[in-house]
Amino acid sequence: MRKKKIIFNIFVYTFLCIAAIFCLLPLWMALVNSFKTNGEMLTNVMSWPSRLRFENYVRTFDKMNYMRSLFNTIFLSTLSVSVMVVFSALAGWKLCRTKTKLSSFILALFIFSMLIPFSSIMIPLYKLVLILKIKNSLIGLSFIYAGMGVSMAIFLYHGFVKSIPIELEEAAAIDGCNAFQTFFYVVFPMLKPITVTIVITNILWIWNDFLLPLIIISDNKKYTLLLSTNTLFGQYSSDWTAILSALILAALPVIVFYSIFQKNILKGISDGALKG
Amino acid sequence: MKKLNPNVSLMLFAAPALIVYGLFKLLPAVLGLFYSTTDWNGLNKTYNFIGVSNFIEIIGDQYFWNSVLFTLKYVIVMVIVANVIALFLATMIESINRGKGLFRTVFYMPNMISMIIGGYMWMFIVTKVLYYMADNWGLTFLDQSWIGDPRYAFIAIIVVASWGSVGYLMIIYMAALQGVPTSLKEAAYLDGASGWQTFWAVILPMIRHAVTICVFWTLNSSFQVFDVIYSLTGGGPGRATQSTALNIYEEAFKGNIRYGYATAKSTVLFVIVLIITIIQLRIMSKKEQEA
Amino acid sequence: MKKFLALSLVICMVFLTVACAKEPVAEAIATPEQPREAELNIMMSIPQFMDQWDTYVQQFEAKMLAEENIKVKVNLEMPSSDQYESVLQARLTSDDAPDLFTLHSNNIGTYNKAGYLTDLSNEPLAAKIYENVKATVSVDGKLLGVPIESQAWGVLYNKDIFEKLDLEAPKTLSELKNIVNILKENDYTPFMLAYQEQWVPQLMTALTLGGKVSGDVPDWVDRMNNNEGSYSEVSDIFGPIDLIMENGTIRAMEVGSEAGAADFANGKAAMFVQGTWASGTIMATNPDMKLGVFALPVNENEDCTSVNLSTSTTLAVHPDAKEMELARMFANYVLDDQDSAALFQACSFNPLATSHTYQPASWVADASSFVAAGKSYKDLVLPSAVTDEQGKLLQEYYVKTITKEDFITRMDEVYKNSNK
Repeated sequence: MRKKKIIFNIFVYTFLCIAAIFCLLPLWMALVNSFKTNGEMLTNVMSWPSRLRFENYVRTFDKMNYMRSLFNTIFLSTLSVSVMVVFSALAGWKLCRTKTKLSSFILALFIFSMLIPFSSIMIPLYKLVLILKIKNSLIGLSFIYAGMGVSMAIFLYHGFVKSIPIELEEAAAIDGCNAFQTFFYVVFPMLKPITVTIVITNILWIWNDFLLPLIIISDNKKYTLLLSTNTLFGQYSSDWTAILSALILAALPVIVFYSIFQKNILKGISDGALKG
Repeated sequence: MKKLNPNVSLMLFAAPALIVYGLFKLLPAVLGLFYSTTDWNGLNKTYNFIGVSNFIEIIGDQYFWNSVLFTLKYVIVMVIVANVIALFLATMIESINRGKGLFRTVFYMPNMISMIIGGYMWMFIVTKVLYYMADNWGLTFLDQSWIGDPRYAFIAIIVVASWGSVGYLMIIYMAALQGVPTSLKEAAYLDGASGWQTFWAVILPMIRHAVTICVFWTLNSSFQVFDVIYSLTGGGPGRATQSTALNIYEEAFKGNIRYGYATAKSTVLFVIVLIITIIQLRIMSKKEQEA
Repeated sequence: MKKFLALSLVICMVFLTVACAKEPVAEAIATPEQPREAELNIMMSIPQFMDQWDTYVQQFEAKMLAEENIKVKVNLEMPSSDQYESVLQARLTSDDAPDLFTLHSNNIGTYNKAGYLTDLSNEPLAAKIYENVKATVSVDGKLLGVPIESQAWGVLYNKDIFEKLDLEAPKTLSELKNIVNILKENDYTPFMLAYQEQWVPQLMTALTLGGKVSGDVPDWVDRMNNNEGSYSEVSDIFGPIDLIMENGTIRAMEVGSEAGAADFANGKAAMFVQGTWASGTIMATNPDMKLGVFALPVNENEDCTSVNLSTSTTLAVHPDAKEMELARMFANYVLDDQDSAALFQACSFNPLATSHTYQPASWVADASSFVAAGKSYKDLVLPSAVTDEQGKLLQEYYVKTITKEDFITRMDEVYKNSNK
């Protein structure tokens, strides 16, 4: 029995390691080659860099206005996700708890719109932005993201609320809580596991989204990280090593963010599991 | 205290979400629908109202229907491949004791990177690294036309798209798997059930909701697939790997720039996706209720 | 208070006038009024030259402040070329148009019809542009944009290899075939193929159609526009296309234009159907490269063997520009007698106006010699859907999913559709 377990473990770990290598391959290749000169890369893409050259990074860090773009991106994704989470948790919870025709209609409305291709709303959306005078506004853009992201978040909240017992809320109501108090003190804390998932996926979506900010932000002082990276694509179109270093720089904050946040996810999910 | 009408209190809670959503998603979509009945080229200041003739033209548009077929093929393969891999990885990671966090971080890593950037990184691998391996390490099976041969290009697209989406699905599955009480698994083990039996009979029914979410998500995002194909093959050779989203994009922004016609196409795409999703949700929710 | 200010101003001016008599340098400070503030929005599709244009814009700002007493703030935007057109379209249609923007000269007709271009014929810059270039950016005799990137181009070739084997630029298709055979006998790959991006194979149709039409069937485009022509009339174009495809480097679909240019520079092939705009990458990869240009022969008729004249980047002034005067001044400044040459040289653009007095690169001189000998034609203006389709179908033709006949029927259909 024990032997079987060991063999099983060896198989599992081998498989996971191969999958892990596959996952990291593009990142690894980008990292290794970003330290080379262009000539070095063209001769052999697989070799180690002859020495660690940071020239590419120095060059791109400056060009991208890295710190400013980073700040803009953090501001944009934090605000968007906060708005989105509060709005959609409120709606998702109430939609699940209210069993009327109106609630099913609203839910259906949210869910169906998830299938609308972005390309078909792009130009009308841009016109709207001009009418509302929120062009070049990161705050305005945050609300657009909230508007586009709430449907998925509501769908997830709605599904999650189904799995938590209603008794606690009823108890809170008996204790004299009004609906808003019940929501913020009783329900919202219980939604933490799915909130973590929603926060993560949406931060990453907004962090990596490109076409929407490209249309709405034209002031380069308000550029996000990806927009700044994009200007480099054009400028260094023939210099792969510089581009790769920019890609790594653009991905770095997310990687750091994720490795820190990793523990919180585990905790959030295990907390949820314990209380559920 | 007076009890509020449930619909009124519902509206109170849903209003903030409804407002941002209505303003920034629904309204532009409706406006887009309006443009689909015009011959606007996205450029002129004036346009004519032409009723349904855009939609009539779509019926005979061979390239459009080819792209729909390609997208369907892509969606089916992606829904199966991505979800099976994600569930498999999630179960594997849950079954080990050490290194859970590490593997999870690693598998989720690709999700953190924009698919445009990821696509270009893969392009680098497909066009440089694979041939290097084929030429210098003797791995001749890698010496294929990964972009030029429609069959291999499809494989390349699926591989890269899975690379970019499996991590997300895996996170959802892992969250669901952790919600399965250990006592149930232990009970099944004590009853003498094998690993497979436990998975099918005990675990899968418990995570059915996650399966619904994941399949729904894959379906939805696969139907709109754009970034991967755009950065990898550009829809080529010719139109062999052109997805519907790419076909619409080209109609709207390349060539003849027929914005009205393009929005008409995206309306058709929307209807197709809608029908498929309704069917899928019906089936899934029925099964969920049965379970 | 106001009186005091006025008084002190007068005193200052008197003082300065006196000072000026002695020191002419102080003139600039003597300007009595506060400079007017203004903003100018410019959108361009050439991010690879961001640095050069940034500097140029700063020069413009300084010049305006010094000469016109206007404090201009220029917002220069350069989205990546992939996204450029969709961003520009969104801006133009939403009444948020930039004051100046770039476009491809083949789109001038469409944009002009939509009313987005200003007639620049009466500006001082009009007199400076070379006639053959001016023709590429004019409609009905009206100059509608400032040409920026303009080139005569054909096939790039490696002069070292050609000299070593005693080869000369071909004048007919059979001469080209002969060259291919000699190259192969000496273990050289004749053509570099880089077909990953659809616009690169499309260059072959641009050259062969241009040559064939200008030499043999000059009314072809007009007739095509009236649904009276067919691609079967120009089926000669498959002569060189087949020759190139059959004698090229492998893995063509996996090679992008940049990688192709680098490979070509490293001697992987002797010829490359690519415009002179690739010279930047080529010379950066191999600074010792001896680059030449010849006209691609289409058949045995030497009249069809000419180079293509086209203007890929044109700067246009939007008719509703808020600062029309400034926008015009900037357009003129692009071809400024003093500063323009340095800019064009820094970007390694080809000289296209009398103000460009610098010595062009050797390959540019090569191509220009064809123009001087009258062996050039203006790039055919085809609907852009047709151009795109040619690129797509050539990819398919290369991977053999369609035949020559399919190509002709499908192109005829697409052309008819875009005439609607």
